[in-house]
Amino acid sequence: MNKIRRIAVIAISFVLIGGGALFAEGLTANEIINKANLASYYAGKDGKSDVRMTITDSQGRERVREFRILRLNIKDGGDQKFYVYFTEPADVAKMVFMVWKHPGQDDDRWLYLPALDLVKRIAASDKRSSFIGSHFVYEDVSGRGTNEDDHQLVGSEGNLHKIKNTPKDSKGVEFAYYYVWIDKANFIPMKAEYYDGQGKLIRVVEALEVKDIEGIPTVTKSHAKNFLRGGETTIDFLGIDYNVGLDESVFAERYLRRAPAKWVQ
Amino acid sequence: MFRKITDFSIKRPKLILTIAALMVVLTLSQFYKVKMDTDPENMLPHTAPVRVAHEAMKIEFALYDMIVVGVVNNKHPEGVFNVKSLGAIYNITEEIKKLDGVIAEEIISPSTKDNVEQAGIGAVHFNWLMPEPPKTEEEALHIRSEAEDNPMFKGLLVSEDGKAMAIYVPIRQKDISYEVTLEIKKIVERYKGDEEFHYTGLPVANDQFGTEMFKQMAISAPLAGLVIFILMWVFFKSIELIIAPMLVAMVTVIVTMGLLIGFGFPVHIMSSMIPIFLMPISVLDSIHIMSEFYDRYPDFNDKGKTISFVMKELFTPMLYTSLTSAVGFFSLSFSPIPPVQVFGVFVAFGVMLAWVLTITFIPAYIMVVNFGKFERSRLKNQEEGAFILNKVLHWLKVASIKHAKMVFAATILLVVVSGYGISHIQVNDNPVRWFNKDHSIRVADRVLNEHFAGTYGAYLVVEAKDKTAEAFIHPEMLTYVEGLQESMMASGLVGKTTSLADMVKKVYYELLGGDRINNVIPETKAAIAQSIISLENSHKPDDLWHLTTPDYSKVNIWLQLKSGDNKDMSKVVEYVEDYMATHPAPMEISHQWAGLTYINVVWQHNMVTGMIKNFLGSWIIVLFMMLFLFKSPVKALISMIPLTVTILVIYATLGFIGKDYDMPVAILSALTLGLSIDFAIHFIERSVEIYKEKQDWQATADEMFKGPGRAIIRNALVVSIGFLPLLAAPLVPYNTVGFFMFAIMAVSGLATLLLLPAVLATWPDLLLKLDSSAGCNKGHCMLTWSFVAVVAAYLLLGYTNVGLQTVIYVVIGILVASVPLCYLSANRKGCA
Repeated sequence: MNKIRRIAVIAISFVLIGGGALFAEGLTANEIINKANLASYYAGKDGKSDVRMTITDSQGRERVREFRILRLNIKDGGDQKFYVYFTEPADVAKMVFMVWKHPGQDDDRWLYLPALDLVKRIAASDKRSSFIGSHFVYEDVSGRGTNEDDHQLVGSEGNLHKIKNTPKDSKGVEFAYYYVWIDKANFIPMKAEYYDGQGKLIRVVEALEVKDIEGIPTVTKSHAKNFLRGGETTIDFLGIDYNVGLDESVFAERYLRRAPAKWVQ
Repeated sequence: MFRKITDFSIKRPKLILTIAALMVVLTLSQFYKVKMDTDPENMLPHTAPVRVAHEAMKIEFALYDMIVVGVVNNKHPEGVFNVKSLGAIYNITEEIKKLDGVIAEEIISPSTKDNVEQAGIGAVHFNWLMPEPPKTEEEALHIRSEAEDNPMFKGLLVSEDGKAMAIYVPIRQKDISYEVTLEIKKIVERYKGDEEFHYTGLPVANDQFGTEMFKQMAISAPLAGLVIFILMWVFFKSIELIIAPMLVAMVTVIVTMGLLIGFGFPVHIMSSMIPIFLMPISVLDSIHIMSEFYDRYPDFNDKGKTISFVMKELFTPMLYTSLTSAVGFFSLSFSPIPPVQVFGVFVAFGVMLAWVLTITFIPAYIMVVNFGKFERSRLKNQEEGAFILNKVLHWLKVASIKHAKMVFAATILLVVVSGYGISHIQVNDNPVRWFNKDHSIRVADRVLNEHFAGTYGAYLVVEAKDKTAEAFIHPEMLTYVEGLQESMMASGLVGKTTSLADMVKKVYYELLGGDRINNVIPETKAAIAQSIISLENSHKPDDLWHLTTPDYSKVNIWLQLKSGDNKDMSKVVEYVEDYMATHPAPMEISHQWAGLTYINVVWQHNMVTGMIKNFLGSWIIVLFMMLFLFKSPVKALISMIPLTVTILVIYATLGFIGKDYDMPVAILSALTLGLSIDFAIHFIERSVEIYKEKQDWQATADEMFKGPGRAIIRNALVVSIGFLPLLAAPLVPYNTVGFFMFAIMAVSGLATLLLLPAVLATWPDLLLKLDSSAGCNKGHCMLTWSFVAVVAAYLLLGYTNVGLQTVIYVVIGILVASVPLCYLSANRKGCA
């Protein structure tokens, strides 16, 4: 009996572990990327977090920016809305940056500059520009469209999938290809390395810390380094909260000038 | 003691020749170590405050030395703003990015610079100015209108006439700019169509200069040598005879350069000119020997006896002419400019080496070589060639002796006119102007400065005392920066300035809808901060940090000048300093200039003040040497006359023809001093010797216009004509040397042969009478003391902080004290 049970346990374990492995092995590069996209950008129905961004330039000079970020999924893997409310430095406090993300087409972006009493739309045909002077680009923050690259599973390193991504259209992209390492268990992208046409490493983005928050594996510390520019940026995510009940009306142009007190205090 | 050396050389010629050959082999073996240094920045020591500040600001604001590639299209009506040319520029930029040593991230090109532009109603767009090559002519023209609309780009990236473009290629170190430029030229060849490409920028000029300077070292010096050789042949008609001075010159140059390289000194712009300086100096003494040997040989008909006699006659003047030249150059070692110090010391060494060779190698050579042909040729020569020379000598004799008063009057007039000319000398330098007018570097410089705001960069860094105030995002401080920029532009010498104020204004008015009415500094600190953070959403957020620091405690104002002339940069500095003095900033600030154009100003200032000081110092040293040589203060002063006249005339010529007093000119003052005294030494020494024999000034003068006069003219002709080919060299410093050699020889030769005989004819006693020892003549004694007073004044003024009043007291004190001293000395028992 015992023996049978032990065999059964082993058999089940085998199925679970081995089968799990088989299952992962069975995933295509595109499937892994899609899961990673969901895991990293679409967790929960919505989310909010305080962000502390430390930009260090090639000379070691540091600047700190703090903002609250609100996110609402309109459709899983599809449209999303972001509301970024600045608190530090004092001169840019109350500045708001809002994005309506439309994968596959141009996003809508707004900038509210309180000192200029100005709401400005920002044309966003290009998502590879810097995110407020940091070493992250817009696509790092809101996610790169999964259809923009050809994905190729090139290997497995420990508990990570290694995928090579080559842009379908090299226009407006500063890299020739990039590798991304994705956690086999939770599909969190742990590292991305960007290479230029000569195969030179030009940029690295890494998840430095992943925590379980409300049952959802979440990156709580992230890091980007640009070898061309020099310098690096570290992002600390604090007070992350999922499924807080954000309403789509928060992400409206009229809320740019008058931030919704409930969500930004 | 030294006379014994000559006798030894006559007895053991082969040993002397072997030693010389050994020295050449030893030093020649050092040449492989040669290192070049063509960076004018090294005119200042690495520790010079301006260089330290410049390096620090380059790091702080991430600035690099740049190669400027200008693209001009004269065939297309829209200039480079057409599909083909912009396509070429795009591809060339992409290729340049891949070059080794190029800082790809910092290239300034339409495809690497971000632009803020209006994108439909109520929207702005951060985009590359030229994200991809344009496909239609409209797209090409759109790129132009965007570039012209951005004050950051106009005059920098796109020319003011909207027809040309420039690519700025930052490089890791200046010393690779020549190679990188060659690589860029190769790339350009692959893509170019109707466009013209020009390459400039100070690093290119410097590096190119180094390459050409190396060529010139190999061409000009030997060419001058060849011409000297031919001229000597004309005079002496004996190859065997004239090979000797050439060998002395070659050994001197090789040994000196070999030692310089062997000691690990880089061959700098300065030291590359050592051969060309040593060439004339080292043949001078030999020509005197040859000339005398040639004239005296018939009296002895024996090589040994002739050379022995000639050497005895010439020994003292040769020693002193060499010493004076060496002193002139050695004085350069007190200048504050390291390459000039090295130059001075090694030329001084070379001069003394040439002297040693002259008294050893020449006699040895004459003993060894077979002069069969020489004897035949000299007879023939006596009849023809010397005829013209004798005629010239005769004319000079008549002019100087019969019309002595006229000579004096003319000299005084000349000195007055020269004073006027000297007052017009412009102190100025510009490394790009070291190339001839039609050199590609100069052409590029001209073309690009016609089209663009200026290819010469300088920086003014303004720093707030309070580091924590974020000073430069305060509107009043940015407005102050704007005012500084306006003052720079008001100088009329600056083509364009760029600062944080320009960047903030640009993004501010684009955010407000693109209306130029809003091209102003925002009214609040928050508005400025928010404009800046908006700008940071571009592809190149770090462009901001070329103009300010992340704590906003410093700003860097970038000036583009159309001219790299130091005098222009100096004027801009003066203008801005004046503005700052009369317009106090709202917060306490300090400021610092930097940039290559400014560094040139600093070293040039050091050079000019340093050189004038050295020059006066050498003049005084030479005076004392003359005092020592002639044992008479009067003779010493007289011997200084031709030299002084020569210097005045040469520098006045510079003033009249508008040639700038630049680095080569400053250096040449040492040469002028050293060479101009030579003829006077020979003249006075020889006349005193001859007078001892003849005891009659008329007979002495007659004799002087034979052998010694002929030697002086031969010398003057050989050296002055020998250096004329330098006038054709593509590098201006070489032209300057050619001009100076010619002028020094011609003027000091004439001045010596006219003025000294005139003195001789008017006051024969002054020059010829044997002085009782200076201590026994009250007048001479006091004159000597007055020299001492001058030296004291010079040393106190030049090297201490003592005021003028004190100096005057010291001078008066010395003069007063000399009266009883000289009275006592002249009345002691030893004096007759």
